[in-house]
Amino acid sequence: MNALTLNNITKTFNEFTAVDMLSLEVPDGSIYGFIGPNGSGKTTTIRMIMNILHPDSGDIQILGSPRASIDNDLVGYLPEERGLYKKMKIRELLQFYGQLKTGHGVLADVDFWLKKLDLTQWGNKKVETLSKGMSQKVQFIATVVSHPKLVILDEPFSGLDPVNTDVLLQAMLELQKNGSTVIFSTHDMATAEKVCDYVFMIHKGKKVLDGTLHEIQDKYGSDTLRIRCDSKPSGLDRIAGVDKVHDFGQSQELRISPGSNPQDILKKLMEDNTVLSFELMKPSLHDIFVRIAGAEELHHV
Amino acid sequence: MYKVLRLALREYYAAVRTKGFIIGLIMLPVFMSGSIIAMALLKDHVDIRERHIVVVDEAGQFSEMLKEAASIRNTQHIFDEDDSIQVKPVYSIEFVNVDTANILMQLGALSDRIREGEIHAFLHIGSSIVHPAEDPNNAFVNYHAESAALDDIRGWLRDPINNHLRRLRLEQAGIDESEIPDLFHWSWVNAKGLLKIDEDGNVIDAGASNEIRAIAVPLVMMMLMFMMSMMGATPQLSAVMEEKTQRIVEVILGSITPFQFMLGKILGGLAVALTSTLVYLGGGTAFMQWRGFEAYIPYDILPWFVVNLVVLLFMLGALMTSLGSVANDAKDAQSLSFPAMFPMMIPMFIMMPVLKEPLSTFATVMSLIPPFTPMVMTLRMASPVTIPAWQPWAGLAGVIIFTLFVVWGGARIFRTAILMQGVPLKFSNIMRWMTKG
Repeated sequence: MNALTLNNITKTFNEFTAVDMLSLEVPDGSIYGFIGPNGSGKTTTIRMIMNILHPDSGDIQILGSPRASIDNDLVGYLPEERGLYKKMKIRELLQFYGQLKTGHGVLADVDFWLKKLDLTQWGNKKVETLSKGMSQKVQFIATVVSHPKLVILDEPFSGLDPVNTDVLLQAMLELQKNGSTVIFSTHDMATAEKVCDYVFMIHKGKKVLDGTLHEIQDKYGSDTLRIRCDSKPSGLDRIAGVDKVHDFGQSQELRISPGSNPQDILKKLMEDNTVLSFELMKPSLHDIFVRIAGAEELHHV
Repeated sequence: MYKVLRLALREYYAAVRTKGFIIGLIMLPVFMSGSIIAMALLKDHVDIRERHIVVVDEAGQFSEMLKEAASIRNTQHIFDEDDSIQVKPVYSIEFVNVDTANILMQLGALSDRIREGEIHAFLHIGSSIVHPAEDPNNAFVNYHAESAALDDIRGWLRDPINNHLRRLRLEQAGIDESEIPDLFHWSWVNAKGLLKIDEDGNVIDAGASNEIRAIAVPLVMMMLMFMMSMMGATPQLSAVMEEKTQRIVEVILGSITPFQFMLGKILGGLAVALTSTLVYLGGGTAFMQWRGFEAYIPYDILPWFVVNLVVLLFMLGALMTSLGSVANDAKDAQSLSFPAMFPMMIPMFIMMPVLKEPLSTFATVMSLIPPFTPMVMTLRMASPVTIPAWQPWAGLAGVIIFTLFVVWGGARIFRTAILMQGVPLKFSNIMRWMTKG
């Protein structure tokens, strides 16, 4: 059974089409990454899934039932913009959000999650005393405290340091282990590569990628050379068969033209440089994202 | 329904647990009755410095009389009856010769003396005051002072002058005042209520219809309704605006529908207002009973008061929350709060004419216009007159239908506008959201 099925959904705002004939199937129990440049339609799609916005056409099914017939109690939602009542105490706030979903007290779950995310000592403090990262974690708890079957997280890692990002990732994996389906949108390609069973990319309202990471990478083939030289290499973009150079400082990635021989490129490279390492690889998700979204979107990301 | 009530409970706790609510609960009646309390506290603190009054008497008839009247007052009426301490100022009267050729210059000079603090006031009596018909333009008594309209002396002068005028006219007509002993006995017109005939045919005397029953009770009920609306509904506008701009709304809408959200907020505000109402009505009733004023408690009106208050709060709550969803910032909220308060402000503006004639066509029509019904109908019902029995019911039916319409329209605006950020505040947008969703 699919946790979520989108069938040709479209949403327009006046003349602007935010989501255009989008179809998607999210298998139950998976972690599904939504990626896409800013303004591509991720949040609009998520809001339609949450029934906050209604599609102009198409239909949505959640856990096998039409969207209209299922309420939000089975779905946990963390919006892109964080919203917490600043004057409330954290435990009270989490209880409130949990009760809105479940209809009963969730104090034990609140305490479990506060402990898990290292926030126990903040439980009786007001939200306004929290740092941005801590607020983020509180918002995450508010999303999952009701044991939702489907968890939708819009940009859950924004504003988190690497330690807290890992804490949240572990929590997401645990939710999956306990049977929940997790959908999250992110601009962090490395994180998406690490945890997602499936990745979906939306660009200008249309689906441009959908599948497992391997399936997506296989579409592009092994067209990327990662090299490392003893000094900064020069003239890479003039080597025949190199389409594009991505300089990371200590290493470089070269996208090679279809039909070019990587060995010929290596030979040419070694004429002017001392090559320390050379690896033929599939493009990273980041690289794929940039290829699709283009230089303009890269600037925004 | 559970979700609506849970949200309402949060709203309720968020409001009543604050120090502001407790302070407001205590301070509200203090502010409402502040002027009355101040008057009561300051009633014995009268300025008893002597008041020097100059009289310019063009009729030439009043010098002895006014001096005598002032003398009687200064010796008999300015002392406390219990301890003979002076509690009112002495009035001293000075007559000046009239400069007929330069009367205006003379009055100007006297005005300057008032400004310089030499004298308190001057009285200018026209030459034809005894027989106004002979020369109406000069049949006047003018009292000049820096605050003439509010000055007690002006009121005091009225009786001695008018009585003296009558005496002069009687004298000139050759009638001896002593032959008509009750000539200057003034009679009050007493305000009385209606008599009642009980089942046994006994006539029950009408009670005194005094100002407290006729004015104070309706005014207090009206003011209480106004204040409860300010406390329970008006804050919803800025609260929704803040929740929208702080993006709390989207989190909440992940759990409940926009309509449930709006309804929860309205019910929360209603609960806050009813809590305050309970405190004030309970406290007020207990106080009145304790002080022996139970007769003034309008028990028969209280259920109508509560029903009308609930309907008013629902109507205003829907109005405020929907307009709050449209606002993008505090400035927008401020602009919208003015028209949103019309259902409360218009009844306040027309309060006195309605109270004076509760059965007039104007009062009846205004009380049957739904946005104004809760306050105006309550005002009419609390007045001493008996309004036709069908009118409160008709008004209630109208306002319930109107409130349902406001809730419906408000919900349509709310669900569309609540997630929109930065959309300009335009009447056309609001109407489009309401009509087309």
